[in-house]
Amino acid sequence: MENIIIEIQKGIIQGDAQRTKEKTTMALLQGIDPEKIIEEGLLSPMVGIGQRFRAGELFIPDVLMSSRAMHASLYIIKANLEQSKFFDKGLIVIGTVAGDLHDIGKNMISMFLESQGYNIIDLGIDVPASTFVEAVKVHKPDILALSALLTTTVSEQQSVVAKLKEAGLRDKVKVIVGGGPVTIEFAESIGADGFGNHLFDTIDLVKRLTEN
Amino acid sequence: MLPKFNILTEEQVQAIHENTMKIMEEVGVEFSYDPAVEVFKKNGQKVEGHRVFFDRKFVEEMVAKAPAQFVLHARNPENNLVCGGENTIYMPGYGAPFIHDANGKRRNATLNDYDNFVKLAGASKNLHMTGGNVVEPQDVPDEIRHLKMLYSHITNSDKCFMGSSSGYEKAKDVIELTAILHGGLDVIKEKPALSCLVNSVTPLKFDDRMLGGLMAYAEYGQPMVIASLVMSGSTGPASLAGALSVQNSEVLAGITLTQCINPGTPVIYGSTSAITDMASGSLSIGNPECSLFTSASAQMARFYGVPSRGGGGLTDSKIADTQAGYESMMTLLGASTTGINFVLHSAGILQYYMAMSYEKFMVDDEIAGMVGRYIRGMDFTEEKLAFDVIKAVGPGGHYLTQKHTRKNFKVEFFRPQLSDRQSYDGWENGELDANARATQRWQDVLENYTPPALDEKVKAEIDAFIEKRISELKK
Amino acid sequence: MSAIFDEIREAVIDGDEDLAIELAERVIEEKLDLVEAIEKGYISGIEEVGASWKAGEAFLPDVMMAADAMKSGMSLLEAELARTGGEEHEDKGKIVLGTVEGDIHDIGKNIVGALLTAAGFKVYDIGIDQKAEDFIKKADEVGATVLGASSLLTTTMRSQGELIEYLEEKGIRDKYKVIIGGGPTSKKWSEEIKADGWAETADEAVDLCRELLG
Repeated sequence: MENIIIEIQKGIIQGDAQRTKEKTTMALLQGIDPEKIIEEGLLSPMVGIGQRFRAGELFIPDVLMSSRAMHASLYIIKANLEQSKFFDKGLIVIGTVAGDLHDIGKNMISMFLESQGYNIIDLGIDVPASTFVEAVKVHKPDILALSALLTTTVSEQQSVVAKLKEAGLRDKVKVIVGGGPVTIEFAESIGADGFGNHLFDTIDLVKRLTEN
Repeated sequence: MLPKFNILTEEQVQAIHENTMKIMEEVGVEFSYDPAVEVFKKNGQKVEGHRVFFDRKFVEEMVAKAPAQFVLHARNPENNLVCGGENTIYMPGYGAPFIHDANGKRRNATLNDYDNFVKLAGASKNLHMTGGNVVEPQDVPDEIRHLKMLYSHITNSDKCFMGSSSGYEKAKDVIELTAILHGGLDVIKEKPALSCLVNSVTPLKFDDRMLGGLMAYAEYGQPMVIASLVMSGSTGPASLAGALSVQNSEVLAGITLTQCINPGTPVIYGSTSAITDMASGSLSIGNPECSLFTSASAQMARFYGVPSRGGGGLTDSKIADTQAGYESMMTLLGASTTGINFVLHSAGILQYYMAMSYEKFMVDDEIAGMVGRYIRGMDFTEEKLAFDVIKAVGPGGHYLTQKHTRKNFKVEFFRPQLSDRQSYDGWENGELDANARATQRWQDVLENYTPPALDEKVKAEIDAFIEKRISELKK
Repeated sequence: MSAIFDEIREAVIDGDEDLAIELAERVIEEKLDLVEAIEKGYISGIEEVGASWKAGEAFLPDVMMAADAMKSGMSLLEAELARTGGEEHEDKGKIVLGTVEGDIHDIGKNIVGALLTAAGFKVYDIGIDQKAEDFIKKADEVGATVLGASSLLTTTMRSQGELIEYLEEKGIRDKYKVIIGGGPTSKKWSEEIKADGWAETADEAVDLCRELLG
């Protein structure tokens, strides 16, 4: 393996965005195939990081920092590469429902999905049902992910699903729900396609839904 | 009473204050509710959009207007409580949507559960209030939940309780209900009888609902807990001093707003700050860091001259097991020995506020009794020093048949209601662990509990008010 | 007349030893019915305390003080009964209690004694550091058939076995039931030394005596 690829891997593992970016630029200058940089330099260490995270050896900030380094590198590669299959894993529109200002759970899920190669459109917090519907219409995502952290706002997830039906878009997108007070029973009762209980769960769920 | 101990030096308290003032001046706090932003504008604070940048002199002046202590009035005056000073008030958990049954099975909480927990708190010798929002009764529609919950507190016990802070309208409903119970709005303005919980949205934000609630309680002079829950590492810095500064900024911003609206409104400095579990990203509360936040908050509240809220029987466990016991004991003991006044979540909480458990409630009730005894400390009178009886018994005798013994053991010793102090053989006959004994005990308490009678006329008035509001709200 | 019996009863319940003695003296002076005073006064009082104990309403100091008050008052009446040759009050059984040779621990034995008294047994406490002969001597003197031997030390447990060996040697093992107790003892130990029963707590000792004497 080229030394420069090993350098990029080190940058990812250390979560050092600056270093990863510099080494990626150098690799491109050396004429290394961008697909190879992605596969060997970025994805390969990210798989290991994911495994070590699940094993409890690494923690959320470690993974997010590595993910950030990967995206810094991808940003540079993108300029040199029209299309890569890495960016094709799927598009996810995500947001916290109306009346709810909780951000952190949604953000963590977004960042994790991004690190897995999904494209994310984050609508933010306190998002009205109509905005979700509009986003589905415009962006045609594979998955719509709804977050609610309050017992008083979980019912808003139901209204989003209802509004999608009204707009005739329900079968155009998979809807997944999550958040502290949300249960699998609730997800089923509102006709969602899935329920994300925690981080790993949600990643596996998205993987399942996008591969089908 | 045990002297409350400090965990921060005076210099450290000052450092948190300075850092907080800098945050409030330079970073600011966001208030999504326009009427609240208007209040700050009127008071000459710099506002950009919804973000308010505070002047430190102004904050210090406003916070100084809040009373150091106040009396919370119950319908039975024997249950009135002094909030502040050396006092410690225990009450049930708040806001959990789920019930975890003894076997660990999870289900949605109902109004029946709500009534049960209010009754258990009413019957308890160790809990001083019946709390508020003791579970989320998910079988009651959200728009009328606040009425049903308050009704439960009013009818099932004569101890102090809390009401909804979920928006201006709901807050007004529960304030008016409490006024009926106590004989009018003027009466409760003089003698506060309702309190509520106002939570910030960390970092550095307050939402519409909470601000609406805050403004209603402030207008009617009812006490409120202004609380912040920083998840250190995710919604706040991973350093405890940094997270404490974020919390302090939010709480002071909230207190400042209450004093702008109605100077002298009783407020309680609240903290539920804890850490982020970095393996799952979820909140984690049954830990030493949470206890440090709680203890530091008691001290910051003393520094600002207001009562404090924090701690409780806090755990991340899913059932009333050993983990639930040791985590809860740490957090309740920590809160109580460092001087937290208003201890929400003293009983019943499991899994970082997500669930209530009947078994855990009884375990926590026992912990509250033990800690309550502990912080009462030792009495030092001539009689308590007991020289005469020591002389009478002399070397080699025993004290079991001394009048002094009989008189004193009942007041000096805490008598457990749940703990097993039997012999091995006694225990073996049944082999019940604390969880199983707790099941027997809560069922027994509920079976034998009679709610204190409520004046028929007052009850009719309350019933009529609730009926009227339900029909209006359901439209 | 029954007023004084109620007073005796109350004195026992209150654990007021001085008053219990004073009232016994008055009963004798006024030549009241001694057996009635015992049963309606002293026994009735201790039974009530025993019941409260069972219900978890009375505690050790209550029971022990009541037992002391009862014993002190009643012993006066019993002496008078013996002097006047009256009919003896009937108890639920007689028990000799003591801590074995080499052991000076008192408190556990005292608690057992009080609870047995509260349960209606007649208890003869011979004290601490007692040899096998002392147990037998007292038992024969008062006509007791149960010997309760307490030991709190691993080094003195052997004396419990020696008490039984002594009975065997003298060929009088069948005349007595020997029960043992104390911190380091166990059911297994009691079987090993062929005791007739073992109790871990004072309550269990009461149950055991009920079984043996019932």
